Amino acid sequence: MIKFERFTLKNGLRVLFHQDVTTPMAVVNTLYDVGARDESEEKTGFAHLFEHLMFGGSINIPDFDAPLQNAGGESNAFTSNDLTNYYDVVPKENIETALWLESDRMLSLAFTPRSLEVQRNVVIEEFKQRYLNQPYGDVWLELRPLAYEEHPYKWATIGKNIQHIEEAVMEDVRNFFHKHYHPANAILCVAGNFELDEVKQLVDKYYGDIPSREKHIRLLTKEPEQTIFKEKTIYRDVPADAFYFAFKMPERKNPEYYIVDALSDALGREKSSRLFVELKKEKQLCSEIQAYITGNIDEGLLVISGKLNKGVDFKVFENALWECILGFCHSTMSEDEMIKLVNKIRTSKEFQEQGLLNRAMNLCFFELLGDANGINEELEIYQKITVSHIQELAKSILKPTNCSLLRVISEKKESNG
Amino acid sequence: MDRKINPALKPIESIDFVKPKVFDINQNVKLFFMSKVTNETSRVDMYFDAGTIKGEKGTSSFVNGLLLSGNDEISSTKISHQMDLLGGFFESGITTEGAVISIYALRENMPSLLRLIKKSIEEMNCNPKEVEELVQDRKQKFQVNLQKTRFLAQRAFQHNLFYSHPDYAKVVEEDYYEDVDPKKLYRFFHNNYLKGLTKIAVVGNFSQDYVDEIIDLFGSWAKEAKCEYASDFKNRSGLHAVIKKDAMQSAIRVGKILFNKNHPDYNDFQIINTLLGDYFGSRLMMNIREDKGYTYGIGSMVAEFNNFGYFMIATEVGAEFKDATIKEIQKEIVRIQTELVSKQELELIKNYMLGQLLKSADGSYSMMDLYLSAEIHGLDLDFYNESIKSIREITPKRIQELALKYLNWEDMTIVTAG
Repeated sequence: MIKFERFTLKNGLRVLFHQDVTTPMAVVNTLYDVGARDESEEKTGFAHLFEHLMFGGSINIPDFDAPLQNAGGESNAFTSNDLTNYYDVVPKENIETALWLESDRMLSLAFTPRSLEVQRNVVIEEFKQRYLNQPYGDVWLELRPLAYEEHPYKWATIGKNIQHIEEAVMEDVRNFFHKHYHPANAILCVAGNFELDEVKQLVDKYYGDIPSREKHIRLLTKEPEQTIFKEKTIYRDVPADAFYFAFKMPERKNPEYYIVDALSDALGREKSSRLFVELKKEKQLCSEIQAYITGNIDEGLLVISGKLNKGVDFKVFENALWECILGFCHSTMSEDEMIKLVNKIRTSKEFQEQGLLNRAMNLCFFELLGDANGINEELEIYQKITVSHIQELAKSILKPTNCSLLRVISEKKESNG
Repeated sequence: MDRKINPALKPIESIDFVKPKVFDINQNVKLFFMSKVTNETSRVDMYFDAGTIKGEKGTSSFVNGLLLSGNDEISSTKISHQMDLLGGFFESGITTEGAVISIYALRENMPSLLRLIKKSIEEMNCNPKEVEELVQDRKQKFQVNLQKTRFLAQRAFQHNLFYSHPDYAKVVEEDYYEDVDPKKLYRFFHNNYLKGLTKIAVVGNFSQDYVDEIIDLFGSWAKEAKCEYASDFKNRSGLHAVIKKDAMQSAIRVGKILFNKNHPDYNDFQIINTLLGDYFGSRLMMNIREDKGYTYGIGSMVAEFNNFGYFMIATEVGAEFKDATIKEIQKEIVRIQTELVSKQELELIKNYMLGQLLKSADGSYSMMDLYLSAEIHGLDLDFYNESIKSIREITPKRIQELALKYLNWEDMTIVTAG
């Protein structure tokens, strides 16, 4: 049970406080309700580029990192298709420094041209390091536009291509800040050994005078229902053939979301899961196989991915996979299989909640979904899932007309010597 | 409120280092125990004298991957299934000088899980089918790795860094995956795991009695003899280039053989390491990422072994920035050797390092890891009080002296891959 208090400032900032008397550290976590899904298709990768610029100095403070480091703390951030999250971990005595820095960059950025120029290059190198200069690094750049026709999930957080990042101008930066970075679009969590009154007073001191702006209403094109099997084959200089079967799944707030999560675990989380045992251990068709969900807020994907063993024909593997899925849908799962899923989830959740930073991040995320207390209700939801729930959903989701398949075929280029 | 003014900072007065309870398994092998975990999680780590220096070719790595592969009667799938029923997680890994397995579970499930793991490992027989499958999987992973400039650079760096000691300098080659003999693997397994346990670390709210049970359970694996490790390393300096055509980025490694926590200059050197490359505001990050935009990240570190250590700078940069980056790295090192660090920058590093040390001692899991990284060198928690003292007292002059003493550019092994 993760306890928390909640209050809202007049300017619309939602604040969560989580007390932990056992730690000398404090966390200030700020979630902004903006992600790559809020970008325009002509300017992708912008939410993430913007996240970098948030460290380039704010209206009153020329440098974000140095004062925090001087206070013994450190900071980082991440951007997803759905949201952008910033966090500071600092000795509790110096929490004011973190609040001072975070509130000033919520108030306004410095918007220095120099910062944009440098971070543009840094992000281009990040693009290369993560997506282009790695074997199989570009599969998500290919899989997203295959799986999604309309919804902005069709591009990756890093952007569709490097060109979009090269073309970003200061005007875009200012507009993006104005639209998405303000109290009503943020959720703040303060965690550590404090009292509620103390936190209220500190938050009010630093955030109370930030002007409010209207929260932008998100109007995204809904992804049309998929009715045909989609496939694409790409050829890359990689050592082994790889496969990515992506099935559409319900959005985060749909109760079926949890069932699909459990379904993906049953299929391919561990070495005793269905796909692993049947396709790897028994039929020896692949060297690795896993199933997971993308965890998105809008309609996400259940993905089955892995690599083929040498000499295995794609057709043979695909037939075997569909056969395995069919078998899963039509033979009853054992009670043991159910117990395993729930026990694994319980252990993972408990370990996740061991860390103060994780607790603060998750509280903000659940608050974004509607109620921070959702974090405390999750386990019970998983525990109530039954075998028939999973199998019914398996039947409706794991079918070819709901699937996009990306094949990566190994094509040897000339040896590098 | 004037937003231009930084709130007053409070210095860290003291850090509470907590020592785990220590139990003797035999005269060389100990169990370390930390309770006071804030929730129901628990972890057991077991260390073995089974690092890559111990077996020939890929033996140590294969055996490490086979620990839960079962035997003719009980399959690896069955073992995974039982482990999953208990909601447990098992990880295993090797380094040059040792191997470790980590077991994670809710406290209530740990006793059953440990019995399962004990039995499964003890009965493992290097079944040829499981061996073949593992070897093929590893071969594929190796081939994937060969396409990563990061991997190629690290491999060549290790080879040149440990050049004086062939056991340490050997790197994985394609032929490691040919003609693997299960019988040879089993011998290694028997000698280095079933008789090779060197340490156990337990974190969780267990009773003293349960800790005794763990000792009874695994006591028979304890290694009798004391472990011996090599010393007197010398790296092969100079530039070594690995060519990978068409790579968009080049990976760079720069470093040299150095010392570990047992050396009197270790603590002070850590401050140079932080200044140069071990935090977001470091000289290398500020120059090569935040000023030039050549890279997504660059960092430096001190890695430790039983009798020595090494210093390393690592980065991946746009292919066109490779030479410029090496020049800038050299420039930053020379800058530390020739210019005194400003009072302001040093103050920031001191504050930052104390904050990070406070974080490293926060909670039983972190504290256990922190303790063990001193214990491996025969040191106690006093070492960290010395660290605090070193951070508080170091002067710009001392930093310059140490940089001149230990960061001679001519001594560096420099590797590029791309």
